[in-house]
Amino acid sequence: MTSRTVFFNIIRFFFLIIFQVLILNHINLGGYINPYFYIYFILLLPFSTPRWMLLVLSFILGIGIDIFTNTIGLNAAACVLMGFARPFVISAISSGPESLIGETPSLRSQGMKWFLYYAIILVLVHHISLFYLEIFRLTEFFATFVRILLSSTFTLMLVLISEYTFASSK
Amino acid sequence: MRNLFLFLREHYFYFLFLLLETLSLILFFNYNEFQSSSLYSVSNAVSGSVNNMFNGISEYFSLRKTNRVLIEEMAKLHSRIPEAFYTTDLNIFYKKDSIVKLEYKYISAKVISNSTNKRNNFLMINKGSMHGIENHMGVIIGNKIVGQVVSVSPHFSWAMSLLNKDSRVSGKFKKNNQLVNVEWKGGSYRKGQVKEIPKHIVMVKGDTIITSGNSDIFPEGLLIGTINQFNNPQDENFNNAELLFSTDFNSLGYVEVVVDMMRKEKEELKASFKSQ
Repeated sequence: MTSRTVFFNIIRFFFLIIFQVLILNHINLGGYINPYFYIYFILLLPFSTPRWMLLVLSFILGIGIDIFTNTIGLNAAACVLMGFARPFVISAISSGPESLIGETPSLRSQGMKWFLYYAIILVLVHHISLFYLEIFRLTEFFATFVRILLSSTFTLMLVLISEYTFASSK
Repeated sequence: MRNLFLFLREHYFYFLFLLLETLSLILFFNYNEFQSSSLYSVSNAVSGSVNNMFNGISEYFSLRKTNRVLIEEMAKLHSRIPEAFYTTDLNIFYKKDSIVKLEYKYISAKVISNSTNKRNNFLMINKGSMHGIENHMGVIIGNKIVGQVVSVSPHFSWAMSLLNKDSRVSGKFKKNNQLVNVEWKGGSYRKGQVKEIPKHIVMVKGDTIITSGNSDIFPEGLLIGTINQFNNPQDENFNNAELLFSTDFNSLGYVEVVVDMMRKEKEELKASFKSQ
């Protein structure tokens, strides 16, 4: 991990929190779609990130968002779960450690299919835990499920757009 | 002992995960207790100042609308000043101070963060305990209700919007004073639910629901919304209806916090009754 990577990740960390809090949290389409794009930070952490650091960074990221949305612990819980799932998802969808090209997971280096599997599974892990924790009621199970699917789709679209936009510059 | 350390080292990832996840969940579920703690007021101060800054910018985008609202409000106030009334004999309007006592006081405040797209929505306003705001005070906009204050720091307050699963407002039909409850079940921020409508009430689309004044939070007679749709299930004791909120929760600019000057007295009265 070079100091350049560390620098980019720090910038990305703050940028995504501010983007999420000041812009995305104000998006409201029919009361259903609420993208949580800030988890892009966890998706893009380098492969070589120590696993303990993955969890700690996820926790700090979640708490950072929680401070602004007045939901202490909610985003943190979802992020930690997502950070925990990440190594397992990577090893499940890759054929071996040697197949991981490059420093960080990206659409360009790993290919469309790999990246889609990777992003879809992790985004769903995060969104499902987040939305059901927030509701914490079984009566709204299906309405919440629709919200999860719509929001996940929107988050994924933002992830893919950023992949196509920024991948070439790095 | 050494084996224990080896075991911990080998599986540290799982233990760290369990630790952080448990910590998050404890924070989340004890969240209500945390509102009064120091951690909470620190986070309140940080997010408050950032929201304040961002709001300073976004305020410019709604100047036109704010102007319109202010002009409307001014017209309303103009029509209330003594010069607007036709008076023949001043004695008719004279009342002794001991009879007329101020019951509600209003503190104006600006909304600096607000959401309508979550299941549980909150708004932050730029007045706090320094300005006399306390928990459980009502938040209104004009003569429409918005929510109630759930936590205060010196300069800011968090208010639970009506758009929250824990929010429940006691209302009544304007036409016949029948008591009902108003809730929000998620989805569109413009539609709420009216619960526990007695079976014998004949509803018409467009019936107005106002606050009942029973809850010590809102004064009586504030607008909640109008009936939009209703159904009459045969097997239940009460009817339910869908209501269109009068308040546009997505464009809250300046709001007022209702201070009930006699709340303490009311609470003491209730407490003394319970203790008997």
